[in-house]
Amino acid sequence: MYQSIENTTFMIAIVLYIASAVLSLLSVTGIVKKGGKVATSLALAGFITHTAAMVARTIGAGRLPFSNQYEFALSFSWGIVLSYLVLYRLYGFSAIGAFVMPLAILVMGYASLQSRDVRPLMPALQSYWLTFHVGTAILSYGAFALAAGISVIYLIDEKKKGSQRLVQDPEVSDMLSYRVIAFGILMLTIVIISGAIWAQKAWSRYWAWDPKETWSLITWIIYAIYLHLRLRRNWKGRAAAWFSIFGFISVLFTFVGVNILLPSLHSYAT
Amino acid sequence: MNNRIKKALSLVASLKVAIALLLLITIYIIIGTLIPQHATQALYQSNYPTLAPIIDALSLDAAYSSPLFISLVILFIINLTSCTLLSLPSQLRRSRSIYMPPFKAESEYRVEEEDEKMVKSYLKRKHYRIDTDEGGFSSGKFRWGALGATVTHIGLIVIFIGAVVGNIASDQEMISLLPGSTREFEEYGFSIHLDDFYLTFEESGAVKQYISDMTITNDDGTTHRQSMWVNNPLHHNGLGFYQANFGWTSDLLIRQAETGESLVSGLIRNGNTYFYQPHHLNIMLYGYFPNMDIDVNQMPYSINNREDNPFYAVVLTQFGVNVGSYIIEPGQVIPYEDIAITFTGSTPYTGIVVRSDPSYPIVVAGFIILTFGMFMSFYLYPRFLFYTNGKLYAESGKNGWVFYQAIKSGITAQRKTGKQ
Repeated sequence: MYQSIENTTFMIAIVLYIASAVLSLLSVTGIVKKGGKVATSLALAGFITHTAAMVARTIGAGRLPFSNQYEFALSFSWGIVLSYLVLYRLYGFSAIGAFVMPLAILVMGYASLQSRDVRPLMPALQSYWLTFHVGTAILSYGAFALAAGISVIYLIDEKKKGSQRLVQDPEVSDMLSYRVIAFGILMLTIVIISGAIWAQKAWSRYWAWDPKETWSLITWIIYAIYLHLRLRRNWKGRAAAWFSIFGFISVLFTFVGVNILLPSLHSYAT
Repeated sequence: MNNRIKKALSLVASLKVAIALLLLITIYIIIGTLIPQHATQALYQSNYPTLAPIIDALSLDAAYSSPLFISLVILFIINLTSCTLLSLPSQLRRSRSIYMPPFKAESEYRVEEEDEKMVKSYLKRKHYRIDTDEGGFSSGKFRWGALGATVTHIGLIVIFIGAVVGNIASDQEMISLLPGSTREFEEYGFSIHLDDFYLTFEESGAVKQYISDMTITNDDGTTHRQSMWVNNPLHHNGLGFYQANFGWTSDLLIRQAETGESLVSGLIRNGNTYFYQPHHLNIMLYGYFPNMDIDVNQMPYSINNREDNPFYAVVLTQFGVNVGSYIIEPGQVIPYEDIAITFTGSTPYTGIVVRSDPSYPIVVAGFIILTFGMFMSFYLYPRFLFYTNGKLYAESGKNGWVFYQAIKSGITAQRKTGKQ
């Protein structure tokens, strides 16, 4: 029963997200007037059904949906939409949805291609650190996706003037992108640290240069360089926006690329 | 200080050098993930014929312990330490409770609010310390947040120190134990006895957990029992025991075929060979398959490790010539001349990593400092306010806009509720 609830709510969430993204894009391109609020409401409705899918999965599996590619993609896209909705609640920028919702749809699409079989946790995953490690990864990756979306807005806005802009002051999107990245890197730090502490318990070593942990470190360094260039060299605007997008590509590679291309101790995450 | 020394110091501590080193380290790490590590030279020669000399010259086959990588990391830590030390005096100055940044009347981050009393009331509620002067008042909090970057850097340096200590002082070995066997750790003053080792299974037959029941006996004769499994290591007197893997040990029995007299009885692991000297016969246990099936290539394999359908694959050779290959059940006899060869049963043995690593507490301390430093930098950054001529100016450096938004919405809410 839970499987069918999960499948139904998953599909409804995707449909609502697509509707939200399309309306948001029509709104930012000026084809539909004032569609931003409706698009955000659709994203919120999708988020609620998405949450229902995760709850059904949690009840069906008897644990949080954090342990394989399907479950992480389901949670990752949830984190992206959550980040967007939180930012909307704080600052009211609905245009961001046009660039963030497609990312969420992309990750949901990836989830739909993965096996949905509920399998018991292998011994290495039977730890309370799983929830903490993957939970913070969802928040971190969601924040980086949001920052990439805001950076795209900056790149579009800097060529436009006044009311044509998606966010009236490009400086605001630049600043928001920085703040969201700051949150993302703090969460990523906790992801890496909790992974290291967990690895010490499970595998006797806190660091083993496993491709997944190594690529998390690479992503961390990329965003650390971003923050230093920004804070110490006043490096912002176009270059910072591109750096933020580049950083998110590294996040995606850490999530998908490493699993497909590089043999890893994290191979259970397939 | 000599100008040249000053210049050299500022270069060593510069952000440019830090970024250059971080980029080099990142590129090196990426290459390390793309090239298989610790493989044989032959593999590099066959897979990367053009790159093999470069891989060899730069030690990219052991990228993370290569001299080049270690040098880059050491240079980065020198840069980080120098930068932290050089910026510390100014950060300490800014973290003092009397510090106020210069007031910028042209700042856009200002809220128009005539009611000074209400503003003061709001700031007091938010735990700001207020210093009144002739033209209005100034206020600030979280000045010590200016030390966030320093704390973050110290965290990284501590982690690096931990990693160095770990490389020098950690020790690790892999042991395998059969139930009933004991291993002494004289240097640490105790021994461990494996009382039992067993696997628990999911309904599907997948392994749920590997469990080793141990008795630890100290040199003074005291004992205690403890079980360990994956994610639940055992620690005693500075040594950690980690459940790492397992295997099967099978009981080989050779008897006189006619009389049934036992000639040889012993244990043998998968892939190992027993040489029966009287017949110059090599008995190789190709594998024990606890739940055997046959794959598409007609080769035996085990569906899982639950002993639902156990079989042994055995190969006999004499003077290098194959004299028979068999798949037999436990207790089934392989007749060979005047002897009878059987495998009577199998027992799982446990593979345990034994590790001493004095660096781990240092690294964990580094983790905590690093996380706290980042939290300070991003969320406990210094916040300053100036109130003059009915306007409240928010100042918080790079976080100015976010701080201004928070103050604006806070003051607006206070105004709405009419609190004083």
